[in-house]
Amino acid sequence: MEQQAIWAVGIFLVIYALIISEKIHRTIVAMIGGLLMVILGIVDQETAVHHIDFNTLGLLIGMMIIVSTTAETGVFKYIAVLAAKKAKGEPVRILVLLSLITAVGSAFLDNVTTVLLMVPVTFSITRQLRVNPVPFLVTQIIASNVGGTATLIGDPPNIMIGSAVKELTFMAFINNLAPVAVVVMAAYVPLFIWMFRKKIQTTDELKRGVMEMNEKELISDPKLLRKCLIVLGLTLIGFFTHQLFHLESATVALAGAFVLLLLTGEHMMEQAFTKVEWMTIFFFVGLFVLVSGLIETGVIAELAKQAIDLTGGDLVATSLLILWLSAIASAFLDNIPFVATMIPMIQEMGSMGVSNLEPLWWSLALGACLGGNGSLIGASANLIVAGMSGKEGYPIRFVQYLKIGFPLMLLSIVISSVYVYVRYLI
Amino acid sequence: MLNYSYDEAALQISESANENDMEFRIVLATDDPSILAGLKQVRQEFDENRVYTDVLFYHYPDREYKIIVRKDYYVDFVLELMKQRLLKSVAWAED
Repeated sequence: MEQQAIWAVGIFLVIYALIISEKIHRTIVAMIGGLLMVILGIVDQETAVHHIDFNTLGLLIGMMIIVSTTAETGVFKYIAVLAAKKAKGEPVRILVLLSLITAVGSAFLDNVTTVLLMVPVTFSITRQLRVNPVPFLVTQIIASNVGGTATLIGDPPNIMIGSAVKELTFMAFINNLAPVAVVVMAAYVPLFIWMFRKKIQTTDELKRGVMEMNEKELISDPKLLRKCLIVLGLTLIGFFTHQLFHLESATVALAGAFVLLLLTGEHMMEQAFTKVEWMTIFFFVGLFVLVSGLIETGVIAELAKQAIDLTGGDLVATSLLILWLSAIASAFLDNIPFVATMIPMIQEMGSMGVSNLEPLWWSLALGACLGGNGSLIGASANLIVAGMSGKEGYPIRFVQYLKIGFPLMLLSIVISSVYVYVRYLI
Repeated sequence: MLNYSYDEAALQISESANENDMEFRIVLATDDPSILAGLKQVRQEFDENRVYTDVLFYHYPDREYKIIVRKDYYVDFVLELMKQRLLKSVAWAED
């Protein structure tokens, strides 16, 4: 291995260890890692910038602006309270409905944003029913990762894969991943009911309190809501049709965001920009440059070669290896740096003679997204919900979550293995 | 605890204690925009402070509001009602 490659691997491993240890904020660590790659001459600045995937960043920024502006209207609170009323105030039904709403929301917004919207309203409903919010929050974590699996914009790993592989359009993600996400969710719902039904009992009087609520009052700005829904609808149509117009998904999301800001006026712009999670955006920037060091020095190509040697180039073995490796890794590591490393590796496998890469991409997406359910540190959404819950006096313990999340994650990967094998490999 | 007074012609306030919370019922006598705006401002104050379980508002028909207030936010809530002029006076209760 050349000296530059050894340096690249050293920096990568140290930075990865620091990200896992969570001693220093992951954004600072990733940015320092990326900068070291440039400062030490492993990649020059122009090459580093070339490796930053602006499609991923643009898509995230655009959706954050649209969703944060829409959230100001109170529509997400309205939907949750309406669901609680439709469930007749029955906690188990509310748990199921809120988890389904979280799954659908995560598919079409993104899972981190969705849980940020769902957690406050969950506290509100459970407090009124005087039931423990933790079962609701745990099921929403799990549902957010399943829902996020279904679309290109649902979960950062999918955004990254969709951006790196131009043939994998928004519709391709839905056609290939939504069916398995639906099956996994259908398998989970009875398990949610079985696990939590005895822990969330309430009185008829408190249920009546939910039924009598006036949810319409929660819409704080109907005029703004109309604008947001029109733009959100057009943006989603844009995602479904972006390939027809030869537009990248980031262009669609950013167009939606800035049309919305045009309609709402300048006063909303400052607020919308403060809601963009810039720390996440810079985390991605650092990672892209960090991984570029491994790509440019040939480390990724070498890893791909060894993976092919391990599986003998057999598509079934390679797909299942990627699926299970991604799932186990994503359960305990941040899935974003993992996927950032795996993408060039799979691309390299293509140039080494693996002709059909499609099952490998779907295996990576399924493993990375569903694997996030395996532990409390498996995905950003998990950490965010646990953090919010702990702050309010309802801690979700690592082991407590692991006992629920890990078996459910294994179940989803077994389902995914069968799906990938039957659909792509027979 | 606090003692407070309010304009009984404009609104009615009742409170009861639960395990960890105080539960307020506020019924507005009229659609007086200044009282509605005041109540909205109280809600906004607690909605925007990033503590999700401090003060939770539930709106019912006939201008009725149920407000669940975490006990450690009781004083903040009553003082916010005073700040928004929904109360006429507030004083520390003598134990």
